[in-house]
Amino acid sequence: MNSSNGNGSMSTASSSGAWNGRDQFPAGLRVLVVDDDQTCLMVFEKMLKTCLYQVTKCNKAETALSVLREHKNEFDIVISDVHMPDMDGFELLKHINSEMDLPVILISADARKQVVMKGVTYGACDYLIKPVRIETLKNIWQHVVRKKARNTF
Amino acid sequence: MDRNRLHNQVASMRRSLFDQGYLDDQFIQLEELQDDTNPNFVQEVVTLFYNDSARLIQNIEQALNSGPIDFCKLDDYMHQFKGSSSSIGAKKVTNECTAFREYCNAENAEGCIRSFQQVKQEYAILKRKLEVYLQTVRQASQTA
Repeated sequence: MNSSNGNGSMSTASSSGAWNGRDQFPAGLRVLVVDDDQTCLMVFEKMLKTCLYQVTKCNKAETALSVLREHKNEFDIVISDVHMPDMDGFELLKHINSEMDLPVILISADARKQVVMKGVTYGACDYLIKPVRIETLKNIWQHVVRKKARNTF
Repeated sequence: MDRNRLHNQVASMRRSLFDQGYLDDQFIQLEELQDDTNPNFVQEVVTLFYNDSARLIQNIEQALNSGPIDFCKLDDYMHQFKGSSSSIGAKKVTNECTAFREYCNAENAEGCIRSFQQVKQEYAILKRKLEVYLQTVRQASQTA
């Protein structure tokens, strides 16, 4: 597990949904990215950093889950590959949804409708097909805001 | 002048890699990600890809050659291969992976074996061309 910190501050978003003290938003968005493929993980990390997000990467779902459990409220969004040995993206998604309130984006090279459908019905806030372009990642902050707004109203 | 010649060589090699369908848009994404903080990004990603691929090819080879074929496992490996090849923009390799997976889904052993030869071939060609291209890029950047 690799943690790359853009800024040292850790701010807890308030329940009113306001983004306290984070004028640079979405810069500094705290992203956890999970993929067992190291080539993909390296590309994602670089893309996310280029978006000025704070990136933590994991190559296993179990590790990602422990990180999330140990560091609750320190992440804004999770991006996870679907196809991973041991725990896959769907299982990780289920755990996250039952234990915490984080938006999860699933990614896969698998574009088959039934798999995408599964992701959506399991509660992924988005399902992206590999290869993912940086333009797509620039917009992921919307899922964070949307979720917070839903929780507030 | 050496420098101009090298730069022209780089440009024409690059153009041909795209024109001949070896690389697609995703490779441009990688090039655009390369910057002063990561001046060798493209080479690093490509090297990771070679490592991942070597391992996957070996696994697939083993799976095809050991007793009754486990199509699920094969599909798994090829799915991974497709994921990483598409992430670097290796167009022809990715297409061959897709073809292989169709044979897998149809549980067509003969088809899988034939298709895998194609995957390996395309991968070998791409690797060779990319190595030469990136080496030329390096040379060109060194003749300042």
